[in-house]
Amino acid sequence: MTDHLAMPKSWHVETKPHKFCPGCGHGIALKILGEVIDELNIQDRLVFGVDIGCSLLAWDFFDVDTVQTHHGRTNPVMVGMKRANPDLLCIAYMGDGGGYAIGSQHLVNSAFRNERILAIVINNCNYGMTGGQMAPTTLPGQKTETSPYGRDAETTGSPTLGPEMVAAIASPGAYVARGSIANIKQLKRFMKKAVENQIAGNGFSFLEVLSSCPTNWRTNAKQTWAFVEDEMSKYFKTGELRTPDEKKEA
Amino acid sequence: MAQKKFRNLRSEGPKGWFNISPDLCKSCGLCKEKCPTDVLDWSKELGVYGSPMMSAARIEQCIACGICEMVCPDAAILIEKKDTKKK
Repeated sequence: MTDHLAMPKSWHVETKPHKFCPGCGHGIALKILGEVIDELNIQDRLVFGVDIGCSLLAWDFFDVDTVQTHHGRTNPVMVGMKRANPDLLCIAYMGDGGGYAIGSQHLVNSAFRNERILAIVINNCNYGMTGGQMAPTTLPGQKTETSPYGRDAETTGSPTLGPEMVAAIASPGAYVARGSIANIKQLKRFMKKAVENQIAGNGFSFLEVLSSCPTNWRTNAKQTWAFVEDEMSKYFKTGELRTPDEKKEA
Repeated sequence: MAQKKFRNLRSEGPKGWFNISPDLCKSCGLCKEKCPTDVLDWSKELGVYGSPMMSAARIEQCIACGICEMVCPDAAILIEKKDTKKK
């Protein structure tokens, strides 16, 4: 008998095992976020906002104040909290549907206004909770429930490159990066820098995490890693796109 | 409120101890694919979802690198490294 093995201190132990599917990348991303929260000791001044979609399953994940918002509206809710109480640290946590589809207006405008919040978007190339439909991030040729012959870039466009989009419009002081669960040490460095950027109050922080969805991809563990490491990282390049001091890690 | 307890299966390898909890392992298999020395394999024990859980079947090959602990989405695995430095 041990208490809770390898869990970060900020995790809410009573709610574990958590509600995500076996092999879901949300667990890895949230474990890294939990470790960063522990290391920076910010558990008591953090507000964690979750979106609709699989990300809402994180509503009881951390032992921190959590709010669940309307679909795509996590960014403005967190912006409101940050403006009302600048001492808080606000993290908007959403999937690719909430970040790039229904909530893209809020992401773009938050970046334009250089709001001092951190937005984390989990990119798993489909809409996980509703059963694996085509999302803005679905790769060309990838088969989903609503693209059974593979995504056709002619009719449905190319996958959204979120960090590139945000980096193009962000003001000085912004931190924009893309990490992957295939490179956990790099992802942790990015996550820590993004949270520290908000603590320093430099500007908008944005992190995209390439994640896995074995349930809807219908992959076993080996194929899951192959898809994240080979297919996804070919289109979505990991690295830092904007940093406050303009020193970037590829 | 009493803190929730999770069962723990512990096995000793040459460089450290491998701990895994049947109350947390969801049998996703991500750790098995990432293990550099092919230590992990499916067990007869059942995990939290009633599917065969992971176990250190070839623990003698374990180098205690901690990659399985890092990639586990459920924090079910803990590696305790042995202190190999001579005192």
